[in-house]
Parts: sequence; C-alpha cells; structure tokens
Amino acid sequence: MKQILSAALVLLCAASSATTVKPLSVEELTARSTHVVRARAVESHSAWNAAHTLIYTETRFTTEENLKGTAPSTFTVRQIGGSAEGYTQKVSGVRSWRPGEETVLFLRPSETNDGTYAITGLIQGNFAVKRTSTGTAIVSNGVPDVTAFDTATGKLSQYGGASMSLQELKRRVSSARLQ
Amino acid sequence: MNEYRRLPRTTLWLIVLFILASLFFVVRLITTPKPVYSAQVQLTRNGSGAPSPDHWDFSSFEVTYQFNTTVGSNIPSGSSAAVSAVQHAFATWKSAPNASVQVSQGANTPLSAPAFDGVNLVCFVCQADFAKDSSTLAVTLTTTADAVGQDTKHNTTSRFAGQILDADIIFNPAVQWVTNGRPGSNQEDLQTVATHEVGHFFGLDHSAVVRAVMFPFGGATLTTLSYDDLAGLMQLYPKSSPDFATGKISGTVTFANGGGVFGAHVFADSTTNSSPAVGGIRKSTIGALTAPDGTYTIIGLPPDNYTVGVEPLDGPVTNSNLAEYAPAYNQSSVQTNFNTRWH
Repeated sequence: MKQILSAALVLLCAASSATTVKPLSVEELTARSTHVVRARAVESHSAWNAAHTLIYTETRFTTEENLKGTAPSTFTVRQIGGSAEGYTQKVSGVRSWRPGEETVLFLRPSETNDGTYAITGLIQGNFAVKRTSTGTAIVSNGVPDVTAFDTATGKLSQYGGASMSLQELKRRVSSARLQ
Repeated sequence: MNEYRRLPRTTLWLIVLFILASLFFVVRLITTPKPVYSAQVQLTRNGSGAPSPDHWDFSSFEVTYQFNTTVGSNIPSGSSAAVSAVQHAFATWKSAPNASVQVSQGANTPLSAPAFDGVNLVCFVCQADFAKDSSTLAVTLTTTADAVGQDTKHNTTSRFAGQILDADIIFNPAVQWVTNGRPGSNQEDLQTVATHEVGHFFGLDHSAVVRAVMFPFGGATLTTLSYDDLAGLMQLYPKSSPDFATGKISGTVTFANGGGVFGAHVFADSTTNSSPAVGGIRKSTIGALTAPDGTYTIIGLPPDNYTVGVEPLDGPVTNSNLAEYAPAYNQSSVQTNFNTRWH
C-alpha cells in the first residue's frame, strides 16, 4: 500500500520521536553498527539463562554478503525473549527468524562479549528481504514509511521511510561507510 | 456487551483491489462473532497450538509494580518526578472506562535487572543490553505461562496459557528524559513512553492505528488513551457493568477465490463529528487483524456511524512490529498482497 492508513492519520510525526524506539535512518544504523550483513537464518534455539530469570533466543545465520565489516561465515544473533520450559518471555516488536529467511542485519557485539551479536536499534536493524515476482529484492524494517491521507482536506502527504530495494539499501550503506 | 443497534445487521460487501494480479477480493461483513481480537493483544500459543491472549488473572495473586527509584543525570527533574510520571501512566489505564484492572504500587525495590522473579520492576537505571543504544527508549519484558500449572512465583500455579506472571518496565538510561510533557530536541517525554509501556504491561501489543497510544511510533507527547487502546483493554479485562454501551462489527476478508486473507488490518472509522463517549478518551479509529480464515471482530465501538476499511500491514506498522501475531497462528507472516479500500 504505502497509501491510506486511517482517517485519523492527520498528524504522524514520523521521524521525530517514538514511544518504544526512535526511528533511525540507514545512515545512522550503519554508523552505530560494526557489521552490516546480508544473511540467511539457519536455526534458532531459546533457553533460560544460568540464573533462570531471562530467556534468550540465539539464531545462527550464514553470511551471504558483507556490506560493512567482515562477519564470520556463520554467526549468532542473541535476542531477549523466547519460549522455554513452559514459559514465554517477550518484548513487543522483537522479531525472530525462521530457517531459510533472508535478511539484512545491522549488528553490534552483544553486551555479553561472548562472540554473539545484537541487532542495532533493537528491531530497526533487521531488514527482511522479500523478492517480487520479477526478481526485485525489497527490504523493509517496519520503520514508518507511509502516505498519510487527511479526510478533512483530501490530501496525501508523503513520508520517507525504510522500505526500499536491496540495491538502494546497499548503496546507502556504502555511502554511509565513507562518511 | 451491548450491541449498537444502528450498526448494519446484514451483509455488507466490500470490494478490494488485488494490486499484484489485478484480481478482486471480497470483504463480507457478517454478524456472527469470530475469534479475532480488536486492537492488538499479545498472544501465547496454548498446548493445542491455539493462540491465547496474554493477560493477568487478578484473582490468582496480587499484582503490584515496584519502583527502583534511582535515577541518573539523564532525568534532571529527579526521582520523584520520574516516579510520578509512571504513576500517572498506570492511573490512566486503571481509570479507563469499561475495563477492570486491579494493580497497585508495591514497596520500592533495589532490584535493577529485568527477570522472572515475582517482582514487576519499574526502573530508570537498569542492567539491560540496550542501555548503550539510545534509539531504544524503553522496553517491557513480560513472562507468561504456556500452560496450566506453571509456577507463578507467588505460591500459586498458572490457570491458563497466556497468563501474565511478571512484567518489567525498563527505561533506557542513555535517553534524556523530561517529565513536564514538553520534550525538546533529543529529549523524550517520560509519561508518554510510560503510558505506552504500561499498555504492554497489561498485555497489549502494538496497534496499527496511528493515534493509539500503542502505535509503536508515536508523537512527542501522548498520554491519554484512544478508542483503540480502550478496545484492547476492555477485551482483556471486561467490566461486568460497562460504563457505556459499545457495539461490534464482525466480518470476513477473502480473496476472490474465497480464501481468507490473514493479517489484514480492518478498521472502523467514525463518519461524524460526535464527541468521545467519555471524557479522557480520545476519539480514534479502532482496528483489528484478521485470523487465518479472514475473520475479524472489532469491538468497543461507541454509538456512532462508521465506515470500515481494510489495508495491508505494509507500513508504517508491519509484520515486524507485531512480531508475535503470525507465529501465534503458526504463520510466517501476514498477507499484504492487496490494496487498501474504504467502504
């Protein structure tokens, strides 16, 4: 769509503030990340920590293309939340991956310094890759990208966002690396 | 719940353009209630694999929230102001009409890390992995039981899948917070963010309605609930004697071949300039997502005239923002291969 969201869609301060996360541009995500990688999920596993207070999900990826830095051929992303031993812990917006899912990840080392990585911006550094019937790869991280419709005026307002072609994302990451 | 009598009682057909293949979908509104939730609530899959809405059982054990009142220099107005802002956020949800939530403030705690420990922690200087990432303002971590009989940490056992047992609200100490509702550049309003996070505390997920508190990318200051937020709350914690009557709209969104559209955002929007039914609640669109068979129910509609629309979740709120929804139905993602249509 990128079209009409709702009749109440008059304001939408898209880029200024957020209640859970503050939208980051591709350039900001790149600057805050040690690695930017196009990768494919292999498997996920959730388990309690040693203190049995938090559940973490670790997902193993294979590197398909390095856009910033050089990631290992396989690496692991560690996220809070998951299901284990009859319990589920969750943080809204934190998304897991299914085996085979292709994604572009903006990464930084986990606080645990155990060789695993965290997603930059909690959820924002996770761009799902979708391929159209013509083969074009589209990436999106779900950050605001909308055309708002004001029923009072009948006008459409455009907002820039984070849904783009994979080619465009790679170009912007490359440019940001040079800044 | 009372039905609103002016709502259409018979079938209403909506035609949705299938953008990719230039086919048409048919959206049929029917009067039979279907098991899809208005606004969006967090879901946990029960033992049979069916999604169960996350919520507290206030009769199982006393639900309290406890502050670690320590604040850093990132909250220049100080600890009392920070605590007050969060107290106001809880009060906003507790005083919502048509819903019954029973939560109170407990004793302060020295704890500083989120954990499933029987303490519903609210803290401003916490040990969390996102602390060095100022783009994440706050998170709420909830722990739910996947089945009956799980230890609740309160000398009881869980009564249903999806029962919330613990919820911790963690504010990022790397963010510059204000408590006066007037954030400047590179500042955030604490009560605004707290109001959103308390919604998660009660089991609400992100909403695709832009003016809802539970919309994941809100404006600078937003501390009052919308119709959409209220619809989510009253569905989880219905009041035995509602403060005002509301209605509902149920229906099915299908492709032209009859197959249900999963994860379509269906929303009801007032066509009048009527005032909100109750003070303190903002008038807004009320939305719902469709189940795998395309069915949906929008509840909590105050008496009014409405149009109904359906749109794909492809921005600004997407499948990524409602991370639990598709897995709860054992689906990989919501369907977005259709175009928005108003009726």
